[in-house]
Amino acid sequence: MFVLLRHLDRVRREIALPPRHGANSLAVRHVDAGSCNACEHELTATAGPHYDLQRFGIDIVASPRHADVLLVTGPVTTRMRDALLAAYAAMPEPRRVAALGDCALGCGVLALGSELAEPLEELLPVDVRIPGCPPTPEQIVAALAE
Amino acid sequence: MSPALPAAPAAQALEERAIRPSEFRAACAEEVERGARFCGGYASAASGALEWTALFAAGAVTTALRTPAVAGEVPSIVGLVGAAGWDEREAHDLYGLGFAGHEPLRPLVEHPAAPADWTVPVIGEDPYDVAVGPIHAGVIESGHFRFHVVGERILLIDPRLFYKHRGLERAAEGADPGEGMAFAARACGACAVANSVAYAGACEAALGLVVDPEARRARTVLLELERLYNHLNDVSAICAGVGFAPGTMAFAALKERAMRLNRELTGHRFLFGTVTLGGSAVEIDGAAAERARAVLRDLAADTALAWRELRFAASVQARLGGVGQLTPEDAIRLGAVGPAARACGLRVDTRTASPALAYPASFEPALPPEPTGDVAARLEMRGLELPVTLELLDSFLGEPLSPAPAGKSVEGTPERTSPQFVSEGVPATGARTRRGVARVESPRGETVCAVELLDGRLARLHLRTASYANWPALAHSATDNLLPDFPLINKSFELCYACVDR
Repeated sequence: MFVLLRHLDRVRREIALPPRHGANSLAVRHVDAGSCNACEHELTATAGPHYDLQRFGIDIVASPRHADVLLVTGPVTTRMRDALLAAYAAMPEPRRVAALGDCALGCGVLALGSELAEPLEELLPVDVRIPGCPPTPEQIVAALAE
Repeated sequence: MSPALPAAPAAQALEERAIRPSEFRAACAEEVERGARFCGGYASAASGALEWTALFAAGAVTTALRTPAVAGEVPSIVGLVGAAGWDEREAHDLYGLGFAGHEPLRPLVEHPAAPADWTVPVIGEDPYDVAVGPIHAGVIESGHFRFHVVGERILLIDPRLFYKHRGLERAAEGADPGEGMAFAARACGACAVANSVAYAGACEAALGLVVDPEARRARTVLLELERLYNHLNDVSAICAGVGFAPGTMAFAALKERAMRLNRELTGHRFLFGTVTLGGSAVEIDGAAAERARAVLRDLAADTALAWRELRFAASVQARLGGVGQLTPEDAIRLGAVGPAARACGLRVDTRTASPALAYPASFEPALPPEPTGDVAARLEMRGLELPVTLELLDSFLGEPLSPAPAGKSVEGTPERTSPQFVSEGVPATGARTRRGVARVESPRGETVCAVELLDGRLARLHLRTASYANWPALAHSATDNLLPDFPLINKSFELCYACVDR
């Protein structure tokens, strides 16, 4: 285990991430509304040693009840529509919605129209837009830290 | 003088047979008896009438047994081939095709609201059911699981996926084969290359295109790059499943390095857009290939070190043995593929049956010394396959990769004509339908793509990924385990939801 910790220590030294600025914190709840899983991979990467989202006080939390931000991926399928709205309804106010990736932004979506619900922008008030297919971890961190 | 050797086959062969419904079950039984493995089934109305095709694999030969629906029904083969269960349920939901003998034919893709309409009822005093999802606690894809438990012991899991069903197969209908690539690729981010190569192979088989050796090497490199980052990701995920943060983070860091290499070599971290129909657009010059090999050597050294440490982390290892065990018999019955099947000691790896790719003839799938079929063995598979993948990449990148022009259909290659149901009165359009099937080993096992082209356009696209093949085995392997171990079992398979749901 100590070899792994030393390895991680070396990774951290080599990347030399700048220290965080400000003293804010943000709790993010992710909902996959029909993505291809690439956005999920990149969102997971932001919590890894190369990006360390937590140094900005940003945490990905387990429940919408703990969340400030609902981070949505995917074009919103008919089957995920109600679950998505339920997650939003469970959030305390003030709350924000972030659209992660081109599908959530309604760009270039490949799907059968009848399998999709309304675009995210029509379902929920989107405040933060993170374009990309998928957005890189840098772009996700930059958008959330802003 | 050496005698002229017969030319090696340029691609997997497809043998098609049109079969009367009354003889369909016997024909499938014959396939199973001769040792062929069921590798997918799909309904299609591309030829004008609804029909059902069951695919069987033996080496590099795929056999497609096709039978027409009579009064909206075909005979079920689920009694012969347990692995066909999901395929039949899906065809019933999406095409309204009935399967005589499949009782009860529960919905799979459709989501009726009442539990009694889709899951097995819980009966008795002590058992109760736990519903989880579609939204889970972490950054996880959406899907619903219904656990039947007594205390903490799992009696049964009924996965209800398809929350992410986007109708990709039907959306692709009418596209030309080149445009259709996007639908196969975007079915899943983590299997984009495997899905694209399978799709390209299926279209090339249908069109009679022969692929340039340079494009074959490019595809093989891309497939192994995809396997590399996925396997590193899976080891990280299994560490997360037992709460071992140093392992989670160390392998996440290694995965990140693999993804940065992907971007450097192809311009995209997930290798999107790198596979083209007929040819290859990937260009890696000598200097870039050498840089990549240097990165891969470093990655190999650090991966070996981290893997060794994981083996010696006793608290991790003690959590893995005997959890989520799958017997070889169940793996065969349920149609498990890839590392999940090899962890049970089954020597199945489609890389040994891929003449259209550049794997060396000497390639042999790795098998764990103790194929226990549990979480420990599935983790072991990743550890065994990572060095093989790194070595393959090192040898493939020994020479630069040049773009290859789109393959031409070679003179003398017969246009694929499908056998007809002569006595069943199939409309004349059937004769114009050209079919192709390709099988590719993705990081999670064999992915199968079948296409039917009508007048040069996609009339049917079917993608049966390794995740789809493995889900029933995953659900079964969790039986008798503790409910809190399910996330670990799930991560040891690390199946995608996106390419199952499509």
